[in-house]
Amino acid sequence: MTIFAPNPDATATSTLSSLIRRRRPGFSLEAEFYTDPTVFAADLDAVFGRHWIFVATEAEIAEEGDYVTVTVGKASVIIIRDDDFEIRAFRNVCRHRGARLLNEERGSVGNIVCGYHQWTYSPDGSLLHAKDQPADFDKSCFGLRSVSVRSEGGLIFICLAAEPPNDFDEVSARIEAYLGPHQLTNTKVAAQIDLVEHANWKLVMENNRECYHCEAGHPELTCTFFPTYGHAVEDIPTRLLPAHARYLQAEHDLETACSDRGYPYELIHELTGRPSAFRIQREALDGAGESYTIDGTAASQKLLGDLDTPRLGRLSLHHQPNMWSHFLADHAVVFSALPLDVDRTLVRTTWLVHSDAVEGEDYDLDNLTAVWKMTNAQDAGLCALAQTGVSDPGYLPGPYAPSESDVDDFVTWYIERLSEVVEP
Amino acid sequence: MTDLMLPPDTGTDHRYPEASTDNELLDDFDGRLRCSSVTDITHDVRSFSFTLDDRAQLRFTPGQYLTLQVPVDGVPVERCYTISSAPADADELTITVKRVPDGPVSNWLHDHLRVGDVLGASGPLGAFSSDLHPAEQLVLLSAGSGITPVMSMLREMINRGSTQQIRFIHSARTPDDIIFRAELEWLDTYPNVDVTIICEADSATENWQGPTGRLSPAVLLKAAPDLLGSEIFTCGPAPYMAAVREMVDLLGVDPGRYHEESFVLGTPGAPLAPSTTETPSADAPTTATHLVEFRRAGRTIDCDASTSILTAASAAGIPLPSSCGEGVCGSCKQDLLSGEVDMQHAGGIRPKEIRQGKVLLCSAKPTSDLIIDA
Repeated sequence: MTIFAPNPDATATSTLSSLIRRRRPGFSLEAEFYTDPTVFAADLDAVFGRHWIFVATEAEIAEEGDYVTVTVGKASVIIIRDDDFEIRAFRNVCRHRGARLLNEERGSVGNIVCGYHQWTYSPDGSLLHAKDQPADFDKSCFGLRSVSVRSEGGLIFICLAAEPPNDFDEVSARIEAYLGPHQLTNTKVAAQIDLVEHANWKLVMENNRECYHCEAGHPELTCTFFPTYGHAVEDIPTRLLPAHARYLQAEHDLETACSDRGYPYELIHELTGRPSAFRIQREALDGAGESYTIDGTAASQKLLGDLDTPRLGRLSLHHQPNMWSHFLADHAVVFSALPLDVDRTLVRTTWLVHSDAVEGEDYDLDNLTAVWKMTNAQDAGLCALAQTGVSDPGYLPGPYAPSESDVDDFVTWYIERLSEVVEP
Repeated sequence: MTDLMLPPDTGTDHRYPEASTDNELLDDFDGRLRCSSVTDITHDVRSFSFTLDDRAQLRFTPGQYLTLQVPVDGVPVERCYTISSAPADADELTITVKRVPDGPVSNWLHDHLRVGDVLGASGPLGAFSSDLHPAEQLVLLSAGSGITPVMSMLREMINRGSTQQIRFIHSARTPDDIIFRAELEWLDTYPNVDVTIICEADSATENWQGPTGRLSPAVLLKAAPDLLGSEIFTCGPAPYMAAVREMVDLLGVDPGRYHEESFVLGTPGAPLAPSTTETPSADAPTTATHLVEFRRAGRTIDCDASTSILTAASAAGIPLPSSCGEGVCGSCKQDLLSGEVDMQHAGGIRPKEIRQGKVLLCSAKPTSDLIIDA
């Protein structure tokens, strides 16, 4: 059932604005936010069309001519490393008559050649060749349309807006201080898995922003991820006290390890009130405390960068609207969520190891990927449950638990973005 | 411990060697102590300091105790008292005594012992000492007059200029009952010392601003977040120590790092043997242990009849879904392929499901070897 008129006209806008007005802080959103194509279109514009979104890692385009293509709504973007080793991003559309240029998800090219009339572009975007054109044809007017792109310590973000939010560089500088020791630009992709989750992108993100479901939902993850995430000390239930005691001790050890090495670890929590909102913190892991494996021991013997200890917990990074990532001493696991449709979301998981790490020698691929493969599958199941439920006429918004405050922050940030484009 | 008679007040005591130099250090003393000062600490706690004859000094480790002989109604009675002073202050020994109602010895000490008086004593005794368990981090837990041995440890570490991280957590009945209060407030200013005092109640003249009530796991973790990495020393009344044992057991403290002095002041007889390596579990279970096989995980573990299957699996690092841990939610429900369990649940599983061979792992303890489809 939709309460919107078929066309996103004034009626839709007024309804969207009333939906925004009715949003109750601390509660999940009304059903239309998760199910209505009109809201989905607004999301693509207000959120994904105007903000920095995480799409890839530098390790995926390690050499000149390496590219990936990313689809955001109806837009396709080429992200390519040019001959000067710079990272570039372009609309994946030929300047001649608009044909799609690169159809593959990834690959390597000398130049970008349109399959229709063979217009040929350099990886830096300039038009090199367009056959049989008049003498006064000025190639310099028909380079590929640039898309704003940034590498944040090896993590690639794009922004489709003509004028991207101007707070991203300042945010990145702070984050890079944390990422530095992991040297993400000196990594390779050990594995990458795409998972289509049958849920609105916001439900995928909301699910990621809390660990209230972890204890029952992620038995493998909670071998190392402390289930007391988000809990205030006073509210820790008795059954979680042993884990909390281990958490406090592990945090103490981690702070010592970080202080000894000059690594920042403190929480920065700016998930609302700014376009490029984020959260970063280095926190301890349970078990052996080294990595996301069942027993917590390192999955790769070749530590990232020049790290001298495997026991650095998890440096966890959240970017609104579509990213969460964990950087461990031995590997990194990064996630990008991109909306495919109102009820389908692509979750791309990339495992990065040291460039020199050898599969089968330094790491076992199954061991490296096991925990998050299972966790992703579990999350996909949970998100599908959520989507099915919010699509039911019986759904009413429900209260976020105290440990779900980051979920409420995510929704707050989202409503802030919509409010910027929807007439009140 | 042998009963010692009070040595005669006259003449020298021949039972310990003559001092060959000034300040001779004695490891093993059996003789007389002369009271050198009496100091009121609280309304019912007093410190008594003693010197050895011939300016000898006693070598002891902080946390140890002496056996004193006290002539109550002319009859020598023995009691053990922890030395509350630090070994570095070896010119004097101090014991700190709370007046116990109906406690003949503590009342005698409070009412009769004066500067210059002599008592028979032997010692030092006891293995409850931070010196025997060197560590970078210490948690000293005490209640009431159980403060004395851990205070000796704290004072000694301060005297030595130690840089160990010391968390001193003391429970008192009211603010008026905090033994060594001013000194603790001063010690709290040291960068490596962190003092937490918990009062059960306010006193007539003071509302306690710190944590109130009794020590709880949450208060303990707040005061000592690095608990699991610390060497822990506990001394206090039996109910307090039982509660602390239960807490550290729950929180997963390594029993090898937990030390307690089962010292019941003012009761006859020697202190109980200090436990240093026993499991802190209050009830040492001698229950049967069974094999539990998790078929899909391909793991078999031991689980005793007093432990839930979920707890044993968790301790063995076998990940299983669970949530409430109280038998309500059913998240940990699994199929029992063979074997028998004792299951005390709280409604998280239906009789029909139990008939079908399902169990709640959080609420089920094995009564035989088991095979579980998990």
